[in-house]
Amino acid sequence: MSDYVIEIAQDQFEANVLASEVPVALDFYSTECPPCEALAPKYTAVAEQLAGQVKFYKIYRQGNRDLSTRLGVSGSPTVVFFKAGKEVGERLTGEIKRSDLKQAAQALVG
Amino acid sequence: MANRYDLIVVGAGPAGLTAAVYAARARMRTLVIDESIPGGQVKTTHKVSNYPGFPEDITGAELAAKFTAQAERFGARIARAAEITEFDLREPLKRFVLDEEEEVVAPAVIIATGAKPRELGVEGEKKLKGRGISYCATCDGAYFEGKHIHVIGGGNSAVEESLFLTKFAASVTIIHQFDHFQAEASIAAEAHENAKIKVIWNSEPRGFLGETTLNKLRIENVKTHVVSELETDGTFVFIGMVPQTDLLKGVVPLVQGGYVETDDAMATVVPGLFVAGDIRSKRFRQITTAVADGTIAALAAQKYVRDFKG
Repeated sequence: MSDYVIEIAQDQFEANVLASEVPVALDFYSTECPPCEALAPKYTAVAEQLAGQVKFYKIYRQGNRDLSTRLGVSGSPTVVFFKAGKEVGERLTGEIKRSDLKQAAQALVG
Repeated sequence: MANRYDLIVVGAGPAGLTAAVYAARARMRTLVIDESIPGGQVKTTHKVSNYPGFPEDITGAELAAKFTAQAERFGARIARAAEITEFDLREPLKRFVLDEEEEVVAPAVIIATGAKPRELGVEGEKKLKGRGISYCATCDGAYFEGKHIHVIGGGNSAVEESLFLTKFAASVTIIHQFDHFQAEASIAAEAHENAKIKVIWNSEPRGFLGETTLNKLRIENVKTHVVSELETDGTFVFIGMVPQTDLLKGVVPLVQGGYVETDDAMATVVPGLFVAGDIRSKRFRQITTAVADGTIAALAAQKYVRDFKG
């Protein structure tokens, strides 16, 4: 875990994600999931590049089933974006490219 | 300043990693680039029963890790989760830029990018991907504990992965376009004996329905043309693969299906550019045929580099 990506649990969703003043990216990941493992270094790299502008959180899906069910997340990894307490933009899922993640996160700024 | 290698392999599946084992053992400076973690399709295969040397089944993830460890042991560098943001394969010294940061060059390149899961291309698929539609059982199977799910396809992958999914799901209903499985007899028999697996024959999906998550699957019986809608908690699609040839479009001619033709040394029409594995035009695509391609490509590349002036 880097300084730029923070792991949360579902009971922190309201405070850290919905109430966040800056836009948020939230990565639902699972274990035994190669595309999740592949996303991790890219997620950290983009989080570092956009530090201060977008917050990057990750959440372990198996330990936080209620939230993933509530948001309709049924595949790992899935990155969901939030701005001003609402989900925005398109979700990213499966094998995610670093450039696509960066583009989607940058679109949240401004 | 670009980092110079003797050989750059793109794609760390069985073909690419085998090429790396041979090249690195021959003391070639070898780089393997992969946009994901190493292993290719093998890493998300639940179990492998037909790769020689493993009389007890081995999980795909374990086999992928072994291929990777072997390549690294001989000194190949594997660039993981690296995106190719620029490339030029036409020059004598072939060039790639990784993540807009690192420039690498080599006289010989083996493209072993393999294939990715084919999408059905039916209504609702793009929208509900990751919202009930999945292409990876090991990744997403656990989401469907106690659920009633569907699998599209009838080949080895579809039937093998259906068996794996019965570990989680309450029921797995396979939708297959023909009246019998294309999967090997032993796997098909196992599916027929599994009480959790049902099959709907002669049917193809026509649409995925649901507002925010998938809840219905529309199928058509291809014999009677009767269309029906089935309630589903999730659907896994295993209908074959499409070759990943983004790097090769306009560089080498692609044949039917988007595959690349080579000579028997895996060479393409571009000097120093080789291809190996599932991306190559050939009759059978197995782990064993991929490692054979990788071996040949590495040996041919070795000879090419030895004779290379520049």
